Amino acid sequence: MTENNFWLKKIEISVSEAEKRTGRNAMNMQETYTAYLIETRSVEHTDGQSVLTDSLWRRYSEFELLRNYLLVYYPHIVVPPLPEKRAEFVWHKLSADNMDPDFVERRRIGLENFLLRVASHPILCRDKIFYLFLTQEGNWKETVNETGFQLKADSRLKALNATFRVKNPDKRFTELKHYSDELQSVISHLLRVRARVADRLYGVYKVHGNYGRVFSEWSAIEKEMGDGLQSAGHHMDVYASSIDDILEDEEHYADQLKEYLFYAEALRAVCRKHELMQYDLEMAAQDLASKKQQCEELATGTVRTFSLKGMTTKLFGQETPEQREARIKVLEEQISEGEQQLKSKNLEGREFVKNAWADIERFKEQKNHDLKEALISYAVMQISMCKKGIQVWTNAKECFSKM
Amino acid sequence: MSGGPPKGLPSTGPHSLLDMPHPLAGSSSEEAVGGDSTPSPDLLMARSFGDKDLILPNGGTPAGTSSPASSSSLLNRLQLDDDIDGETRDLFVTVDDPKKHVCTMETYITYRITTKSTRVEFDLPEYSVRRRYQDFDWLRNKLEESQPTHLIPPLPEKFVVKGVVDRFSEEFVETRRKALDKFLKRITDHPVLSFNEHFNVFLTAKDLNAYKKQGMALLTRVGESVKHVTGGYKLRSRPLEFAAVGDYLDTFALKLGTIDRIAQRIIKEEIEYLVELREYGPVYSTWSALEGELTEPLEGVSACIGNCSTALEELTDDMTEDFLPVLREYILYSDSMKSVLKKRDQVQAEYEAKLEAVALRKEDRPKVPADVERCQDRMECFNADLKADMERWQNNKRQDFRQLLVGMADKNIQYYEKCLMAWESIIPLLQEKQEAK
Repeated sequence: MTENNFWLKKIEISVSEAEKRTGRNAMNMQETYTAYLIETRSVEHTDGQSVLTDSLWRRYSEFELLRNYLLVYYPHIVVPPLPEKRAEFVWHKLSADNMDPDFVERRRIGLENFLLRVASHPILCRDKIFYLFLTQEGNWKETVNETGFQLKADSRLKALNATFRVKNPDKRFTELKHYSDELQSVISHLLRVRARVADRLYGVYKVHGNYGRVFSEWSAIEKEMGDGLQSAGHHMDVYASSIDDILEDEEHYADQLKEYLFYAEALRAVCRKHELMQYDLEMAAQDLASKKQQCEELATGTVRTFSLKGMTTKLFGQETPEQREARIKVLEEQISEGEQQLKSKNLEGREFVKNAWADIERFKEQKNHDLKEALISYAVMQISMCKKGIQVWTNAKECFSKM
Repeated sequence: MSGGPPKGLPSTGPHSLLDMPHPLAGSSSEEAVGGDSTPSPDLLMARSFGDKDLILPNGGTPAGTSSPASSSSLLNRLQLDDDIDGETRDLFVTVDDPKKHVCTMETYITYRITTKSTRVEFDLPEYSVRRRYQDFDWLRNKLEESQPTHLIPPLPEKFVVKGVVDRFSEEFVETRRKALDKFLKRITDHPVLSFNEHFNVFLTAKDLNAYKKQGMALLTRVGESVKHVTGGYKLRSRPLEFAAVGDYLDTFALKLGTIDRIAQRIIKEEIEYLVELREYGPVYSTWSALEGELTEPLEGVSACIGNCSTALEELTDDMTEDFLPVLREYILYSDSMKSVLKKRDQVQAEYEAKLEAVALRKEDRPKVPADVERCQDRMECFNADLKADMERWQNNKRQDFRQLLVGMADKNIQYYEKCLMAWESIIPLLQEKQEAK
């Protein structure tokens, strides 16, 4: 299928499998990694049936490469985040091992989610590299690297510098940056405490399992009380083992929160880009202003600004009128160039702000919708847990009352 | 009930309690039983006049009570005796109204003991006295001395060993009050112990201390304390009913100990869970302050978690106050049982020793000397008393544990129901579509 009509048809993307593999890494050392199977299906309009069009294997590092590319080429877009690289916010029963099957499973879901988010984004979905990611297994890495996107990336240092020195950033971006910082902080806190809550809850349920054993032992020495005790003990065992499924479901909620934790970072990236562009603009304007002033001084002969040329002139004597003329000419050229550049930078900046803000509005709506859904499903989980609890204890109560 | 001229002392035939005049009362029968009546038609009262047949008044309205706690505690007593067919109560004892007394030498708590009875042994139909823990301890010792063949119910522990518990905290005092109430009720229910002189004095005397100082002037059926047999005489064999009981009690006490430890562990885990929940809820609040459209949903979740936290706290409090103390009491109870069994063994050993000694002295055959006969009597009485008490203990144990465990299940159900309600109530809030701002 050609790239053009790829997007005309409705497509379904799924990360359907995960497989452990061994290979040699860049340093020719043996390593184990997990590969994920990505399947793309196109849905025929006529009968709604889906046909498998592409299927290939990718590993996590390739997803990272894709995302880094998107970050560079679409700095005005809030680029969807990847699932976490390493397991964080674990509670004791959860493994922090990247090879652990539960972690791999949750990562598979997270990667699928990432691809779906990109595919449903009105701008990102049209990207060629993304298309190739889904369709071209071999050579894809080389293709991406050939775009030279790493060179286009802004250096971290440059960005940091801009953040501190920019004078007039758009207020909305300043607020947004502040918001994304706070969001990151509060979701981190939430996830940490939630993990501790899960740990404790696990403990409460599991200790009840001991009742099962001791009731059974006790029932052995009783006559009339024995049956009731024994069957109640069984219910205590059921209660104790029910927590495993409950907490597994809750991990899904945690993953939904994590996505937005990482989205906060993506938001910040857009803000940083704006600051960088704004700073660039301000520097260019400053530079232009200083050149204009220099020009003026040379023309009128007054020296108001300090310049090396001025100093050497003082020390070594005035320059000739010809020399001065030459310098003025150069400056005028530079000024005219500078004005052009400033104009285009201004335009770029305004375009950026417009486009970025449009995507941010889109993102806000998505976030509000998604988080509401997450809270609802969390409440539903809690309700289910309460109902199970009532059921078990009611059963136990019946057994006790027959003692 | 009509008010008529005061009748003679109750020995002239069946009367309802209402008819029975208060020795100090005026003419009307209502006055006889005190001013404010709170009749509850479910309660039937009967009077007993020693060995006369018990007759229930038809549709009898019960005696009015002058203390507000009584009708519910009367109901409680009836619930305890659900299983006992045909038996009717003529003695009611309640422990309530704890008060703190601050004196120069010490501070202590007293409890009000209210007694209502139609028994001859009581001069008045109603008594109200104040007693402190010491007095209960004294009573128990007296009962053990004077009724060595019977199983005496346990008292709550004298000192609180574990943890930093305030002796005067509401929870501690309430827990103790319940245990003391249970203690007296168990004695009340006992067909022999409830007639004990010391018990009577405990319930009625204005000045118990004066009585205490009088010493052990009273003679009871088995006056002498059981002597300890030295020299390690081994029993030939125990009667069937006592043989297995020792082992049973050992295992029973072990299992109770395990259950106590499990229950404590659960409470500990629940408290730690509560600590985390109390940090968890407010984070949603913090988050909601950052948001616009999500403010209300997040705030709702925060409040919900707060409600669940409160429900959990109530659960742990209940378990600490109601569940653990009863478990511990039963461990004490089975310890008491074991020591009475030991005493019985000793009595049997003494008898058998004497018997063997007689068999060796050929002169006294075939006549069995008087003191051996007395020993045999003592043993047989002991066996009969203890057998009855053991049966009673088994029945009570079954009822008590049924009640205890059903109660535990109930508390957990209530906790989950409270949480369920909280979460169900915020679903509509979460699903609400926000008005376009």
